[in-house]
Amino acid sequence: MSTKVDKTSTIPAQGSPTAPVRRPLKEERFADRGGVINVFSHGFLAVWAIMIILPLVWVVLGSFKDNAEIGGSAWSWPSHWSFSAFGRAWSKGGIGGYFTNTLIVLAGSLTLTMLLGAMAAYVLARYEFRGNRIIFYMFVAGAMFPVYLALVPLFFMVKNLGSISPLLGLNSYLGLILVYVAYSLPFTVFFLHSFFRTLPTAVHEAAMMDGCSHARAFFQVMLPMAKSGLISVGIFNVLGQWNQYLLPVTLMQQQGGSDPDRSMLAQGLVNLASTSGYASDFPGLFAGMTIAMLPVLVVYLSFQKQVQSGLTSATLK
Amino acid sequence: MRHRKYPFIVGFLFLPVLLYTVLVIWPYIQTFGYSLTDWSGVSPSMNFVGFKNYTALLHDDIFMTALGHNLLLIVLLPVVTIVLALFFAFMLNVGGRGGTGGIQGVRGAGFYKVVFFFPQVLSVAILAVLFEAVYRSDGGGLLNGVLIKLGLENAQQPILWLSDPDLVFWCILAVLIWSGVGFYLVMFSAAMQSIPKDIYEAALLDGSGRGQTFFKITIPLLWDTIQTAWVYLAIAAMDAFALVSTMTPPAGIYGGGPNHRSEVLATYLMRNFLPFGKAGYACAMGVVIFFITLILSVVSLRVTRRERIEY
Amino acid sequence: MGSAIEYNRRDIFKRAAAITVLAAGGGSLLAACAGGTGSSSDSKSASPGGGSASNPFGVKASDPLDVVIFKGGYGDDYAKDFEAIYTKDYAGAKISHLGTTDIAGKLQPRFNAGSPPDVVDNSGASQLKLDVLAKNNQLTELTPLLDAPYLDDPTKKVRDVLLPGTLDAGTIDGKVWSLNYVYTVFGLWYSNKLFQEKGWTPPKTWDDFITLCGTIKAAGIAPFAHQGKYPYYANYTIMDLIAKQGGTELFKRLDACDPTAWDDPAVKAGISAFYEIMDKDYLLPGTNGMTHTESQTAWCQGKAAFIPSGSWLENEMIKITPADFDMAFLPVPALAGDKMGPTTLRAGAGEPFIVPKQAKNNAGGLEFLRIMLTKEASGKFAAAANSLTVLKDGVGADVVLKPGTKSSSAALTAAGTNTFYYTYPDVQTEFDTALQAATADLCAKRIGPDQWIAQAKAAASKVKPA
Repeated sequence: MSTKVDKTSTIPAQGSPTAPVRRPLKEERFADRGGVINVFSHGFLAVWAIMIILPLVWVVLGSFKDNAEIGGSAWSWPSHWSFSAFGRAWSKGGIGGYFTNTLIVLAGSLTLTMLLGAMAAYVLARYEFRGNRIIFYMFVAGAMFPVYLALVPLFFMVKNLGSISPLLGLNSYLGLILVYVAYSLPFTVFFLHSFFRTLPTAVHEAAMMDGCSHARAFFQVMLPMAKSGLISVGIFNVLGQWNQYLLPVTLMQQQGGSDPDRSMLAQGLVNLASTSGYASDFPGLFAGMTIAMLPVLVVYLSFQKQVQSGLTSATLK
Repeated sequence: MRHRKYPFIVGFLFLPVLLYTVLVIWPYIQTFGYSLTDWSGVSPSMNFVGFKNYTALLHDDIFMTALGHNLLLIVLLPVVTIVLALFFAFMLNVGGRGGTGGIQGVRGAGFYKVVFFFPQVLSVAILAVLFEAVYRSDGGGLLNGVLIKLGLENAQQPILWLSDPDLVFWCILAVLIWSGVGFYLVMFSAAMQSIPKDIYEAALLDGSGRGQTFFKITIPLLWDTIQTAWVYLAIAAMDAFALVSTMTPPAGIYGGGPNHRSEVLATYLMRNFLPFGKAGYACAMGVVIFFITLILSVVSLRVTRRERIEY
Repeated sequence: MGSAIEYNRRDIFKRAAAITVLAAGGGSLLAACAGGTGSSSDSKSASPGGGSASNPFGVKASDPLDVVIFKGGYGDDYAKDFEAIYTKDYAGAKISHLGTTDIAGKLQPRFNAGSPPDVVDNSGASQLKLDVLAKNNQLTELTPLLDAPYLDDPTKKVRDVLLPGTLDAGTIDGKVWSLNYVYTVFGLWYSNKLFQEKGWTPPKTWDDFITLCGTIKAAGIAPFAHQGKYPYYANYTIMDLIAKQGGTELFKRLDACDPTAWDDPAVKAGISAFYEIMDKDYLLPGTNGMTHTESQTAWCQGKAAFIPSGSWLENEMIKITPADFDMAFLPVPALAGDKMGPTTLRAGAGEPFIVPKQAKNNAGGLEFLRIMLTKEASGKFAAAANSLTVLKDGVGADVVLKPGTKSSSAALTAAGTNTFYYTYPDVQTEFDTALQAATADLCAKRIGPDQWIAQAKAAASKVKPA
């Protein structure tokens, strides 16, 4: 059969002289076998893409409509393009402030998660000592359980931290940052543990020979080597912490009128949904959603290559 | 050198372990303690009641309903999400016509990969508010609007979606799948790209179609990744709190309706903890969920364990 | 056996806690468990009888006041007016004001931690349940307030200036836990303008109502909308039909969750009458799945003729109600054979204000409530929130009422003393939840009247006598 004849020539990316021969043959093969499937699969992909994009575009359009248009047919087009709903959502709805809060917390929690996670993972992966396994499994076990199981006592714990210093307690940036870090550690340690194990030992040994301290060897030799792993787990953590809802709703509640509103974006948006419910301001709500969505999408679109390659190395371990 | 090792180990582990113990391990342990009390959650006083909360749980129909829903989610969410994500990943990476460069994805693969990932970067609260509007129960909702436009639905009898007891669970499941597929698609894509292309080419040349390639080559080689995906999705299925509590009726008391038809453990636990003032009972629920999760994790890791294929 | 074991358990906890305290470097865990009792309430709280005649609760102007207001249909601007009055009397008091729609989310943690605010407007879909709070000794009993001299006229006591029935909703087992501030009238609402345009007469009897619904439907408008995601609005109509049919005695048994009350033929008559709306397909399409805002907006836009609600509706929808809408109120129409008169309606005090027991400025909280009941404050409320308070003759002639409020106060005047008010939604949380679920099923025609009664009865049987 013909397959056997040109088997040798199909090893990819050879740029060999046989390539011109191979090309028509392959196209022919796919064409006769895959025509129907191609239409089908393309159709399926396109439908799914529409299912993703349509609701998002619809929300953006909704922020330009008025109450009657939103309550009318979903297909109505905004009659006049007014940005007033955005103004309401930004100022009265406080979306701007929620953004800042979220950025502050994520910046802190991500840095700390990576630092502490890498330190713990490194020691557990590269050093033998009594209790190593126990600590490792303790970390890994935490990744299995949903957060809400520990919510009640956690609340008191954070409140207690607040009695040490108000900077740590409820409705404080640092308090929430520490909680985010603690709940991100299991995955981070688990992931980086296996990553540090794969790194060659030779470089590290050489550094130690040169009189490096353990800590310096870690920061100056091992961390740079683990860069790709750190980026991957960092992306996981950004997504995970960005998605948190239950923790900020419990721990980041304004405690009274004199307490600043430090809501995260997610809870702020749900607040907005609730207040715009009582003030009957649907366009304001849609505008709030738009404001919450667009910057993230823009950031994602600009960094999507890094995100995808980060996830790529994450699965390659 | 050796004498400097232990201070270093302790120095590096101290902070992470301290933080983790105080904020994660200890609260979990305390949940066990509270579950043996009649604590109301609104006052600091409580009495020891032994295992009364646990025996009450056995007779709690709503708890069983919620548990059933979570178990159903644990089966359906991973299966559907993984199947869709695998299918899309296969299409995007090896499903296209052979061009000049050998095996490749369909045209526009890059575009699809970017778009499918969108929902993952939207926080779950945005999804909840967004889909409340999508599922709105009259022609102003996106879904009803589309169906009415297509003539598939009578505008006078719109589908109630989240308020229809037979649909509400599936509505929630759909959102979970909608938002999750993109992430696993990218994950599987990455894994597929690490499979040497000559394996595919060889298979094609041996005359196997795309279907066969998919089942005989892709799946076995991706088994590790699929297993990881399964675990992540199962954890997500045990939760589902944000969506159910904000999207389903009765509003204000963590949803779960109508008539508990979308109840999940997390919403029922929170409703007992806050509005019903039964924090001790809620903690007992937490402990039971803890053990169920533990058993399921161990079982699923056992069941899905296979020989790892090295390539 | 409880105490001995409890002691051991605590001991174990104590040891375990000690370890954590070492690790956490301070704040004791037991202190958290014992949170409120220890730290806050001892020194500054109201000492009973410790005040003078003009300052009966012994308020110190130097104590800050922490106010949390449910920012729902009435907004929270009125409370800022009250706070201004408070600072006038107690110069220097620093007031913290928080308006929120999520009372439970914000305050549950604070009650739990023993540091609740000093006064709370505990209302809305996520209100803290009064029965749960009272049972757990978290609230200040309001008798000292009620027996205190009235600010505008010290010869009277506060309890003398309240409209009859005001305290019913906040009373559990004879003790008053909340002061419900807004006098609310419940029934059906419509647009007088729409009715006049179409030549429709507001129905007096349920038969007229059903006939009119037919006419309305023929005119291309949905006769009836309700807030399907919150089934308690539909219950305003259902439970009122039943109460009016069955009379005061049955109403009391129903409200007390007496299971046998549900066997009364009046229950069947009431629910069957309501079911005619579903049977004849008079509901606004999609209304069963709508939030209060969605359905009320549709109603304001003339898509539906009637909607059930309380008298906060007008202020809640004020921004989107057309200027010439001419909102009007209708008591739930009379059924044939009613034991209560046709003008009888559900009316009572809403917006429960509470003073938490653990509040740091407990006295200030009580004083805030006393200030709320002055004529000045009551007028401010009427002007800012377009509704009436529980104060007798609370609104001077200078306050201009909106059409809906005018209409509902006219109905209230017509009813005279013939009013009733259910308390079960406030004090029987689990029963109310079950009844709402049954009503949601009924409105969607998933169950009929008989099954609805059966479910309600089953839910009532689960309520244990307190």
